[in-house]
Amino acid sequence: MKPLAGVRIADFTVHAAGPFCTHMLSQLGAECIKIESAQRPDIFRKPHTVYGRPGPATFDQVASNKLSVRINLKHPEGVALAKRLVAVSDVAAESFRAGVMERLGLGYEALRAVKPDIVMVSVSSCGQTGPDSHFAGYAPLFGAWGGLGYLTGYRDGPPVEMRHVMDHSVGLNAALATVAALHRRRRTGQGGHVDVAAREVASSLIGEALLATAAGVPIARMGNEDHWRAPHGLYRSRDGDRWISLSVGSDAEWHALTRVMARPDLAADPHFATQPARHAARDALDRLLADWCATQGAEAAVAALQAAGVPAHVSWNTRDIVTDPHLRQRGAIVEVTETGGATRAAVGAPMRFGASDNPSIERGTPELGEHEGYVFGELLGLGTAEQRRLADAAVIH
Amino acid sequence: MEPSLPLSGVRVVETASAVAAAYAGRLLAAMGAEVVLVEPPGLCPLRREAPMLDGPSGTSALFASLAAGKRSVVLDLGTADGRAAVDRLLATADILVDDTPLTERPAQGLDRERIAARHPRLVHLSILPFGAEGPKAGWKGTEINVLHAGGEGALLPNGLSATLFPDRPPLKIAGHFAERQGGVAGALAALAALWSGEGQFVDVSVQDANVAVGAFAVQRLGDGSLEHRSTRSFRYGGVIECADGHVELLTLEERQWTGLVTLLGSPDWATDPALGDAAQRSARGAEINARIRDWARHQPVEDLVRRAQALGVPMARYAEPDQVVSGGHERARGTFAELRLPGVPPLPLQTAPFRFGPDPLPLTAPPPEPGADQALLGGDAATVARRASA
Repeated sequence: MKPLAGVRIADFTVHAAGPFCTHMLSQLGAECIKIESAQRPDIFRKPHTVYGRPGPATFDQVASNKLSVRINLKHPEGVALAKRLVAVSDVAAESFRAGVMERLGLGYEALRAVKPDIVMVSVSSCGQTGPDSHFAGYAPLFGAWGGLGYLTGYRDGPPVEMRHVMDHSVGLNAALATVAALHRRRRTGQGGHVDVAAREVASSLIGEALLATAAGVPIARMGNEDHWRAPHGLYRSRDGDRWISLSVGSDAEWHALTRVMARPDLAADPHFATQPARHAARDALDRLLADWCATQGAEAAVAALQAAGVPAHVSWNTRDIVTDPHLRQRGAIVEVTETGGATRAAVGAPMRFGASDNPSIERGTPELGEHEGYVFGELLGLGTAEQRRLADAAVIH
Repeated sequence: MEPSLPLSGVRVVETASAVAAAYAGRLLAAMGAEVVLVEPPGLCPLRREAPMLDGPSGTSALFASLAAGKRSVVLDLGTADGRAAVDRLLATADILVDDTPLTERPAQGLDRERIAARHPRLVHLSILPFGAEGPKAGWKGTEINVLHAGGEGALLPNGLSATLFPDRPPLKIAGHFAERQGGVAGALAALAALWSGEGQFVDVSVQDANVAVGAFAVQRLGDGSLEHRSTRSFRYGGVIECADGHVELLTLEERQWTGLVTLLGSPDWATDPALGDAAQRSARGAEINARIRDWARHQPVEDLVRRAQALGVPMARYAEPDQVVSGGHERARGTFAELRLPGVPPLPLQTAPFRFGPDPLPLTAPPPEPGADQALLGGDAATVARRASA
């Protein structure tokens, strides 16, 4: 049995951050029922101009594992139907702009009225309260608001945009908060309204810089530098656009590095004798490492460095990742089947359990409304005539 | 103990020396768990990790951000007494969070088999750079290594930085982004295991966590595109320089473009009917961005963002650290609590990036002094020694 088996989620989330939250929970065993409508299908069912996708996605990571139903939330009977689904769920998740669920008649108080211990999870750009709560946003904006974008970049360059890792980081935090809220419900019988603000996820990732700056130790953009470690950075290998990440934080790692480089002279050089000295001489070390790495094959150099005890890894592209035996063995990368039968790689949930069944993807992207027989029929007990009536009235639509 | 907090009553023992495991412990503490940090006699190395708050000998800002609300005991797990003491802590704990390298675990009494035999009800969470199983389980990895092993590193920078510096090395995200992903994944994994009711070993890898949040690049590869930092920039918008800082501008939907045209003052170039077509705009992105940049250079950030959002145009300030903590929205939400440390004015610390109602989670305590909670071990050192030898 998977750890979250028996937990049911009514999933109103759209786009990336919210769906990633419920997708992770579904991989952990929760039953996740995705609510869309023909008028408002989620983005993966449509062509995607930004990414040049001409039609619907044949596999969508964050929709996989989910059951699909159609409910027209603009129809009063649709709202009533959604509430019936919430009433048999443990969690209701949504990621509209703050206030939208209330305007639909599906705010926390309305859901609590039909399910007193419901755990409602709201994922938004700026949170459910505060003067900016109505602001629209995407991942790069979350990173900008939260300071993460400002601090990322080359010393002499501008801030850097955060992309989908920002969205999915929000989703991962939301998944954590959801399970914590379920624990509270189990202990106290009380549900609650979980408020996850994407911009606050961004700022949570730079807590030390915010503290230090407020204490009068300003932190600026610093490229690939570290406050302590040196050499520390990305160095081009002889393989072209294959870069080696390398990090030295102790005398032992420094001596190991000089052995791999076959440079006893560096090990003996007093300019590099201590970690503070190496940090002060980091520009010179960067040049030394750049010269050495330019003569090395990337993967072979990294293997030698790791064997000697030096933290190093090739800066991998996505193809490296999906073909890696280590990640495959761990289930961090799994093989899935697209609509139409082709296979491709997808990500697993990043955790392995010793006793519970491991996370997995059981099914790909659902067809819109594919699971209405189970959800409306079995879970909600609607007869076929009633389902037909609701379909004719454009409620199930 | 705040009984209303989500994890009130949950007891956690943490033997962490790196950011990911320490952050997992911090998140659990923020939600109300009692987290006891077990430090070696040389103390948790994160106490010495920069940035420091007040010079090299002072308090680590990183440690403060990771250890607030925790308790501390100092124990030498290389000794039988130390292992006996940690066993007593574990006997009443729900979760152990450990990042000791695999080869060092048996000597510390922290190997999977020993913990499972002595504490069968415990959730034993291991967080390592590359996990506890698999061909790379023994590999070392600091922040820069795991970020680049997870795929996002090679995709950075994008946008304006990639345009300005096309030949520079790929870039890391500021701070400990990748390791903190490992911490969030670890906390989630521990609570999922606890929910199952089964004591068990849980294996979390920081690399796996970063591969997971990098899901979109894997999605794109399956769609037929191998992403690269030089080609994944938005065609227009992005990082835009203004009179007094930078903003992010991103219009993905038609109505947002229309709002942007209004924001620009509906100049002739923008009202060109050809630009009503999204594909045309994409093709002429460089030209559009040159116009936007010329215009934005004279705009003050705060006023511009306010006007943009009123028109439904997604725009945000690239906030500097002091602007983040003093922002009107953050103040209204109470996003930052006051961390009180001896001899330092109150400092802004976010308890967690989520809340369980209108109010933020409380900041219950500053980071602990080393060994501040030695009394939790059930007696003084002499008592511990007698029990161990009895």
